[in-house]
Amino acid sequence: MGIENFIIIAVVAIIVGLASLYVYKAKKSGKKCIGCSSCGSSCTGNCSSCSGCSEKKQVNNKKTDF
Amino acid sequence: MRIALAGNPNSGKTTMFNALTGSSEKVGNWAGVTVEKKESTVKKLYCKNGETITAVDLPGAYSMSPFTSEESVTRDYIKNETPDVIINIVDATNLSRSLFFTTQLLELGIPMVIALNKADLNKKKDTKIDVALLEKKMGCPVINTVSTSADGFSELITAVIDQIEKDQTPPYTENNVDLSDIEAVKAADRKRFEFVNAVVKEVETRKVYTRERNIHDKIDNVLTNKWVGIPFFALVMFLVFQISQVWVGTPIADLLGELLGLFQEWVGGLLEGANPLLYALLVDGIIGGLIAVMGFLPLVMVMYFLIALLEDCGYMARVAVVLDPIFKKVGLSGKSVIPFVITVGCAVPGVMASRTIKNERERRATAMLAPFMPCGAKIPVISLFAGIFFNNAGWVSTVTYLAGIVLIFLCALLINGITGNSAKKSYFIIEIPEYKKPSFKGAFKSMCGRGWEYIVKAATIILLCNTAVQIMQSFTWSFTVAENANESILATIAGPFAYVLLPVVGILSWQLAAAAITGFIAKENVVGTIAVCYGITKFINMDELVLEGGASDVAAIMGLTQAAALAYLMFNLFSPPCFAAIGAMRAEMKSAKWLWGGIALQLGVGFTVGFAVYQIGTLISAGTLGAGFLPGIIAVAVMAAIITVMCITATKRVKAERAHKKAK
Repeated sequence: MGIENFIIIAVVAIIVGLASLYVYKAKKSGKKCIGCSSCGSSCTGNCSSCSGCSEKKQVNNKKTDF
Repeated sequence: MRIALAGNPNSGKTTMFNALTGSSEKVGNWAGVTVEKKESTVKKLYCKNGETITAVDLPGAYSMSPFTSEESVTRDYIKNETPDVIINIVDATNLSRSLFFTTQLLELGIPMVIALNKADLNKKKDTKIDVALLEKKMGCPVINTVSTSADGFSELITAVIDQIEKDQTPPYTENNVDLSDIEAVKAADRKRFEFVNAVVKEVETRKVYTRERNIHDKIDNVLTNKWVGIPFFALVMFLVFQISQVWVGTPIADLLGELLGLFQEWVGGLLEGANPLLYALLVDGIIGGLIAVMGFLPLVMVMYFLIALLEDCGYMARVAVVLDPIFKKVGLSGKSVIPFVITVGCAVPGVMASRTIKNERERRATAMLAPFMPCGAKIPVISLFAGIFFNNAGWVSTVTYLAGIVLIFLCALLINGITGNSAKKSYFIIEIPEYKKPSFKGAFKSMCGRGWEYIVKAATIILLCNTAVQIMQSFTWSFTVAENANESILATIAGPFAYVLLPVVGILSWQLAAAAITGFIAKENVVGTIAVCYGITKFINMDELVLEGGASDVAAIMGLTQAAALAYLMFNLFSPPCFAAIGAMRAEMKSAKWLWGGIALQLGVGFTVGFAVYQIGTLISAGTLGAGFLPGIIAVAVMAAIITVMCITATKRVKAERAHKKAK
């Protein structure tokens, strides 16, 4: 394997690895959308007052469905 | 230690939160920008004893009796989570309205400090507030602050620390109010207002009264005039697109494109001897795909800058007023305008902003329709097609946004028909902020913040997608190198979807289908995937952002006519948004039926608009109908039939309900 091939494999592995790690960490911290400003990252799933979670409780609310 | 920032909408809470913590949460000169609570640590600069303070920014609320769901977030947090201290941000220019909520907060017995914000505006109007007397009347410290310049923040945090675990005595209490009796609640509120007005009368000295007509009212007479308001808004938006996507954005994009192209060439030169597959993966796939997306960064940033200026000067709140009567005609209201405007930046916060709408049907309809406004992520797609096929014409952007508005109206009517709610009236009350000179520093910060997010997205999601696309188009399912790209994994996955696009683009192109599919992950991917699949960066003159040779050469490379290109663009803009925005729709709609109905509607609209543009365009330009007309018209007819049946069913249901009510 030539040095160029080794460099490409190493660079691609590093770039893809770092990008994947960033996405994984962002999703784990509760970020809803990577690269969207003001999309909120505060909902961790255990705060009673957050409407983001109360949505789960209200999912059966079909009062005015089609 | 945890402090909560609570106050009326548009009193400057998020600006204060950003300044106290160094965060960059979205701010805007209108009510209802913040719809979720945000947490961050206060800068050490303000915590003199080294204590760690967590600040919680809450959505604005007018009272402790919530009217909308984001007001409930504030009420629930303060009541259930019990912060150590509340900073009540009071708009010093509107004391009587603000103190109503203040007196309710004080009743909770939680230690409180009042931040008398926008003190600078009071100085300009020569309005004086006796801070010492107000402190005495309210029974808690009152500090003059200016959120935009961080004036008074050190004193504020010092006062907050002093207040910890102190008893808080309310200056006014209401006991034994029967909350089930609306008249009793109204009477109690009137009494509270009487108390507040008496306090304001004692502490405030005004020279300019709100009842007096001033220059702002004169400007409003023009800008909110029912005949002038809408054309003026159209002109403003045209200028925003023209400046961002033609006059200013493009020259900067040319320069950036040139630099990025040189970088790609340099890397390509270094790795000339490498394996062609690996070379293509890094140079064409990763770098080429990234360049295709990053080349449009200046256009996006300039637009964000201009939108931030418009938001800050107070014009956008007026737009809601101007558009309210028209939106009411289709079952929405001016309240829906704010989510639509925010969507121009990003669909996720735009959809989330629909939370401020109390009426459930109107809120769900707004969340469903907001993604029709082309967001920042769609700008690269619009610019690429405008640059390649239409000689960088500025009208393409304006037409796509106008088409978005028209589709919102038409689809709102459809939703009315399907839900049988055409007779219901909606009410719209909005607090109009005063006009102010927009902050260029604030707009620059907003632009940089959003630009950075764009770069992060390009370097993560887009990069990963481009890499996957490059690998999938290089190999077959048996993991051997694909001799012909048509046999690749990507071609076999995207191939079936190409049949769906046939009536829209007139050709079977798995590359275009793949681009549309990856667009659901992030809309910028449409550009990245096209660049990777066609190796299009080789054909684009990055200096001019046009394809060398013009539209006829593009037809040879991509197999698209101008009509097909415009139709494909429309399909991508008006079909369902990215998954993140769909997630936001799900959260705001709180109904699987509405969510799937919304996605089906968006898919139907995207297909129908694309089909109509391609077929009509081909008929005009070539004198014949385009390929795939028959299957396309059948698909449109089936969709129309389904909608008609749903409308008839809804009308019958509504009639039956009315008859039942009458019989009762």
